[in-house]
Amino acid sequence: MLRSLKGLLCRPLKLDRGFALHTAAKDRVSSLLTQDVQTAPERPRAVFYTNENDPANHAEQHEGRLYSIPLDELKTVFPHGLPYRFQQQIKTFNEACVMVRKPALELFTYLRNTNFAHPAVRYVIYGERGTGKTMTLCHLVHYCARQGWLVLHVPDAHLWVKNCRELLQSSYNKERLDQPLQASSWLKNFKTSNERFLKEIKTQKQYMWGRRDRTEAGRPLAEVVEQGLARVRNASDAVGVVLKELKQQSRLGPFRLLVAVDGVNALWGRTTLKKEDKSPVAPEELTLVHNLRKMLMNDWSGGAAVTTLSQTGALFKPSSAYLPQELLGKEGFDALDPFVPIPVPNYSPREFESCYQYYLQRKWLQHEKAHTEAGKEELRFLSGSNPRQLDRLAGPL
Amino acid sequence: MALVGGAVLGAAGHWAVLSRSCGKAVAAPLFGAAAYSSVPAVSNRDGQQREASTRRRGRTPQFVRQHLPPRTEKMAVDQDWTSVYPTAAVFKPASVPLPVRMGYPVKRGVPPPKEGNLELMKIPNFLHLTPPAIKKHCAALKDFCTEWPSALDSDEKCEQHFPIEIETVDYVSSGTSIRNPKARVVTLRVKLSNLNLDDHAKKKLIKLVGERYCKDTDILTITTDRCPLRRQNYDYGIHLLTVLYHESWKTEMWEGEKTEEDMEEYIWENSRSQKNALDTLLRIKASENVSDVTKEELLASEVVKDYRNSVIALKNEGETEKNMSLYKESVKKLLNMQVLP
Repeated sequence: MLRSLKGLLCRPLKLDRGFALHTAAKDRVSSLLTQDVQTAPERPRAVFYTNENDPANHAEQHEGRLYSIPLDELKTVFPHGLPYRFQQQIKTFNEACVMVRKPALELFTYLRNTNFAHPAVRYVIYGERGTGKTMTLCHLVHYCARQGWLVLHVPDAHLWVKNCRELLQSSYNKERLDQPLQASSWLKNFKTSNERFLKEIKTQKQYMWGRRDRTEAGRPLAEVVEQGLARVRNASDAVGVVLKELKQQSRLGPFRLLVAVDGVNALWGRTTLKKEDKSPVAPEELTLVHNLRKMLMNDWSGGAAVTTLSQTGALFKPSSAYLPQELLGKEGFDALDPFVPIPVPNYSPREFESCYQYYLQRKWLQHEKAHTEAGKEELRFLSGSNPRQLDRLAGPL
Repeated sequence: MALVGGAVLGAAGHWAVLSRSCGKAVAAPLFGAAAYSSVPAVSNRDGQQREASTRRRGRTPQFVRQHLPPRTEKMAVDQDWTSVYPTAAVFKPASVPLPVRMGYPVKRGVPPPKEGNLELMKIPNFLHLTPPAIKKHCAALKDFCTEWPSALDSDEKCEQHFPIEIETVDYVSSGTSIRNPKARVVTLRVKLSNLNLDDHAKKKLIKLVGERYCKDTDILTITTDRCPLRRQNYDYGIHLLTVLYHESWKTEMWEGEKTEEDMEEYIWENSRSQKNALDTLLRIKASENVSDVTKEELLASEVVKDYRNSVIALKNEGETEKNMSLYKESVKKLLNMQVLP
């Protein structure tokens, strides 16, 4: 009790020291003060933070607020998948704060009300560049991880269709091409995030790796992953086996499966890869892409598939394209149809306010004019309330 | 006068004078100063004195011509302009009472005035085609015209009775020949809604004519100029229209091989989207252990119809906010996603 009182005394001093808060914000602060006295005994924070660290409890009143993910959880839940700039921000601020926004809340309601006996519903998050699609996906991944789902997170499908050094002919199917490096790095990260599931899930078939190695039926899936990591040649096939097993077992099994793919339009676009005779490689000729496409069909149940469209890494697509049909093309749209489209807009005024106050509070905005009302309006105008633009503008300030 | 005197005398000494004066007279115009070109090289006081003296020497006082004031100063405001410019003529600055300036201005200056302005003289002008001139033309041509039929008093009636519009151009020029090769071009315009075409025929006709059809105005334009005479081109145009009409009504055997890429608009029946939707619904029903649900029943259900309309709108009209939200709602209903508030 005494601790919290001391916190209350410190806080007005901290806030008055050079920060310009709105009167409205001050009122909210005072209301939060009374709330904090009753509930959490931890260090009270400003209005744009929320103490609710479990995404499951995020609701509309938390909209526009930032919640933080504990750093040790980050390593297990997000071994890959966070945007690069956000990772840098985590290193700088020493905390990972994610904003709670409406599209994510909408997805939470859908996921909570899914009927796991029905075929998996596909959700496609789309929006203009830099509006927060990947961050929404990460928020969702965190939620599902907390809820105990098995998360199959493909951080950027575009990485599988471009800049690939080694392409091996697949031993399983002569027509297809393997990508050992990409497959093995993905398997490594998949292992870190889903250790305990891999021990529990058992294979249902026998798998032969080449002429000598084999994995018997009934062995834990971790063995398949180990095989893929040990023998890099078989990594892509190991990925295929993992996906197949998960798909078959999610219906009956005690776990829920979330397939989270970022940049799903890469699966149905073009690749920049070339075979040895310099002929272009179609996406379906890649084992990884083929298996992931099968995963995104809705012929399995017991989970959901959430995907994001991304123009940023997209190949041969104009930079102004952001709508589903433009980025997915006819083939992709037909493959994903029927899906639930979820648009992600730019920051609303309240969200912008939150983000701005966060940067101020973390002393990220050092420019003397940045604290003023005019500075805030200038930032709002220059960034157009676009999260990425705001992030980039705030950098040099 | 010195020149004339020199020529009459013909003495050698006078020749010298003559040549000297000639030389100076020829040189004199070179020193004429232009209002807006660069200043000539000789610009100091000595040069000016020399220039003035040569001018005076070259021209005798009797030959100083009085420049008459331009005609524009004598023009009344309500004059008959058609008599000033009855035909197409060059721009005459003294005849046009407008303070027009044209050309690229010098630095910190204005465009040059109309006097001696080559830019104004180069371009075609329409000073001979002012509204009073046109009125006079029409009045003169009226004697050669017949009365407009009184029954055709509105555009709709004209279109109803005369759906095909023929356009030909006659050319008149001042030259030795009355022929103009451009006069043989004939343009036919017709609205497809006036032709008796069913759905297949209309699509086939549009595919056959290609660029000659404008979707916004629904007008087919056929331009013919392959024959040497206008009448022949007109006949050919009418023949083309007839052939197109009849061919589009026929259905060839190979038209059955029309694939999805050839379709002009999106048809939901037998499309991938329909297949996906049916598969999903069948799986949902199977999971709920509801069997004996036929495809026709599913297709006739409300949710599927809703979904079908939203997909068709999305594909045909493109993606807008409204279309996307309609699609979202229809998919939610299709997949039975009840969202509890």
